[in-house]
Amino acid sequence: MNEELVKIDDLGLSEEELFSHYDNNEIESEKITAPRYSYWRSVFRVFFKKKINIIILGLLLLVIVFSYIYPILVSYEQWGNLRNYESWHLTPGEAYRVLGFNLHTLLGTYGAGESIWDSVWYGARTSISLAFLCALINMVIGVLIGAIWGFSKKVDIIMTEVYNVIANVPYLLIVMVFVRILSPSFITLVFALTITGWLGIAYFIRTQVIIIRDREYNLASRCLGTPIFRIATKNILPFMTSVIVTLAAAEIPSYISYEVFLSYIGLGLSANETSLGKLIEAANGAMNQFPWEFWSPVAIASIIAVVLYVAGQNLGDASDPRTHM
Amino acid sequence: MTKYLLKRLLRGFLSIVMVVAIIMILIYTFINRKNIFGQDTYWTKVSSNQRTVYEYTRWEEYGYLDLVMYTDWLNDLIKNGELAPENRDKVASIGKKIADDTPEVAEYVKKFTEYYQNNGYTVKRLEAKMLTATKYLGGGKEYLFAFRDKPLISRLWNYFSKMVVVDNIHYVEEDIGERGIKLTLHDPVYGGDKFAPALIGNGTKHKYLLYFDDRFPFIHQNLVTINIGTSYSINQGIDIVNTMTDPQGKQEPREVIYPTGLVEQSCDNLHTATYSAGSRDKSIITQERFTDDYTKVTLYKNGLSKIGYSFIIGIISTIFAYALGIPIGVIMARNKDKLIDKLGTIYIVFIIAVPSLAYIFMFRAFGSLFGLPTTFMMEDAGNVLMYVLPIVSLGLPSVAGFMRWLRRYMIDQMNSDYVKFARSGGLSENEIFRKHILKNAAIPIIHGIPGAILGSVVGGIITERVYVVPGTGNLLTSAINAYDNGVIVGITLFYATITIVSLILGDILMSMVDPRISFTTKAR
Repeated sequence: MNEELVKIDDLGLSEEELFSHYDNNEIESEKITAPRYSYWRSVFRVFFKKKINIIILGLLLLVIVFSYIYPILVSYEQWGNLRNYESWHLTPGEAYRVLGFNLHTLLGTYGAGESIWDSVWYGARTSISLAFLCALINMVIGVLIGAIWGFSKKVDIIMTEVYNVIANVPYLLIVMVFVRILSPSFITLVFALTITGWLGIAYFIRTQVIIIRDREYNLASRCLGTPIFRIATKNILPFMTSVIVTLAAAEIPSYISYEVFLSYIGLGLSANETSLGKLIEAANGAMNQFPWEFWSPVAIASIIAVVLYVAGQNLGDASDPRTHM
Repeated sequence: MTKYLLKRLLRGFLSIVMVVAIIMILIYTFINRKNIFGQDTYWTKVSSNQRTVYEYTRWEEYGYLDLVMYTDWLNDLIKNGELAPENRDKVASIGKKIADDTPEVAEYVKKFTEYYQNNGYTVKRLEAKMLTATKYLGGGKEYLFAFRDKPLISRLWNYFSKMVVVDNIHYVEEDIGERGIKLTLHDPVYGGDKFAPALIGNGTKHKYLLYFDDRFPFIHQNLVTINIGTSYSINQGIDIVNTMTDPQGKQEPREVIYPTGLVEQSCDNLHTATYSAGSRDKSIITQERFTDDYTKVTLYKNGLSKIGYSFIIGIISTIFAYALGIPIGVIMARNKDKLIDKLGTIYIVFIIAVPSLAYIFMFRAFGSLFGLPTTFMMEDAGNVLMYVLPIVSLGLPSVAGFMRWLRRYMIDQMNSDYVKFARSGGLSENEIFRKHILKNAAIPIIHGIPGAILGSVVGGIITERVYVVPGTGNLLTSAINAYDNGVIVGITLFYATITIVSLILGDILMSMVDPRISFTTKAR
């Protein structure tokens, strides 16, 4: 047995080569050599990599400034130009000639000399607030209920039946009936648009949850005894951030659209509230005579909706971790 | 498969009942009833007690409650022989105040109150409002009546139990001679010489139970009628099925041969004759033309029905959307990230984001540049051009939908293994796209075909409103604006039925196209 052993001295190596002291630094050994990954920083890195997004964001900023800050700064006087009959029903071109360059009359004037530009942004504030509020309420309720719906098989049975019943009625019909039931106001409209609006979102989320609920890593997590709530918030929710953002981006313009349509058929806000829909409805009658009064709010509504949608879509794309490579 | 379908249909029916119940609860209990007087000019003219009574009578007409006036009750008593007609005046005039009632009146008022309170009614006595001792305040006359809100269950039961009505020979209560249904091979409406089979009834509600004419779908029946409610305000007293299916537009006279043999240029459509008791003897005009009491007819008109307009516009726009959307979607998927894909995506974003009302108006403005008519003129029935803009406005948004989803599905399929395998097997890109990817990607699109066809009956609510198309979509918005509860419930039922049927048909079609999909065995 002894012959098989090799004597260290025979190898002719120096002491240092054979043994050296190595410091066991626990903090150092915990470090991961890969670059640090921060989810939200990556989201914004990907988002700003596309130059078009900077332009979109700039437009978004403009829309917000004009609809929320501009109305505070300028005092909007509806009957300010009433005396000056020359200022009635002016096209943008005429307004430039008659009243000179003025931000207020950039889009011309209405029948009593009211500034279209100011009215449109006042209306836009209501419409955007409505859309955001509806989207927020619907998304929160929809995502929460959808998550529970996807997880629990008992809830699934009940909710699927509820969905089957309510989804048979056109959404617009429910909204119209509810607006009619309650007297028209901002809160009424929010209520009507959200009372069943969350259901479609919840159903969508439910399907997404079911798809990833039974993936292997979630099974493993459950085997290790992770509570359902923790699986939902830590394993599944991050997976769905991009889905949720994309969905929200499509929701917001749709509420602007609903508001415009409901006001157009006379079911919108109360008489003393202004919104894009009400402006469009008011100008609809004399559309052939004064087309700019009609097309100005339509154009602004379209621009706002497109900007909000594109910004949301691109943010949704950027928040998908698969694009972070 | 049959068992599965039966189950689906049953569940579908249950969910229709639920939907109708929900809508009934909403509109009959939650709507502030006073709202219906918003645009009522008569309501503003009357005041005091008269206004209250007017409100209750209107609410009865709109289907909110059952109302019995004291005088109506007395009339019923006379009819049943419980009260002698000569005594009526003595008990009918109630006192200005309860204390003023004569003993006879007080007795009958007590009876009335007890009878209706036992039946769950609320009895309301409005005492006179006086200006002076003898002079009434405007509308201040005294009233006595009983009312009861219609309970949901009985409302629902009435609605569904009376929905399908089969015409029978005992419909007419009066003496009408020999009752029966006979088959004739020579329809008298056409003079009795031309070969045209028809079923003619006597004692039934409709005279013609089955007949042929020159109107689509050429064979018509009156044997089974569907009754989904009556319109209260927008088409007063007419039931909703008729509101939706009766022709509209300008009256169109043609040569009509009346049962008496009189030949005349007239609009009367004799095939639609229904029984109306004693109507023949009422005027000399009907006596000259009809031989029996089947005198109530609808008129020949040059336009289509509401469903007809919605269906024509809907079906053409659906075909247009499929014909345009699918090829563009395929081209976009094949040229992913190229110029055409980007242009298509811009269009999709435009349709999703821009408010639908805005782009419909844009299409309308664009169309009017080319001289296309922007409003729908029913009188001008021959003008095909007026269909163009509604069809385009309804079709173009769905084109975006097809483009978006077909592109998405095809791109998803492009990365799958079977496509790589096909490519490695040496198939050309054309073959792969046409024979493999498109077939798989089209399955969800195929699922929507029955929905799209049936949905075209529903009509674009927005489109029809903008172009003033007299279709079903427009009917809904006007019904909601006019608080026409009957029409709202009827249309909800109609929409719900169409949704359920088209979903079931879509599933069947999908399982026919794709043999992998089966509903008979459980998925797992």
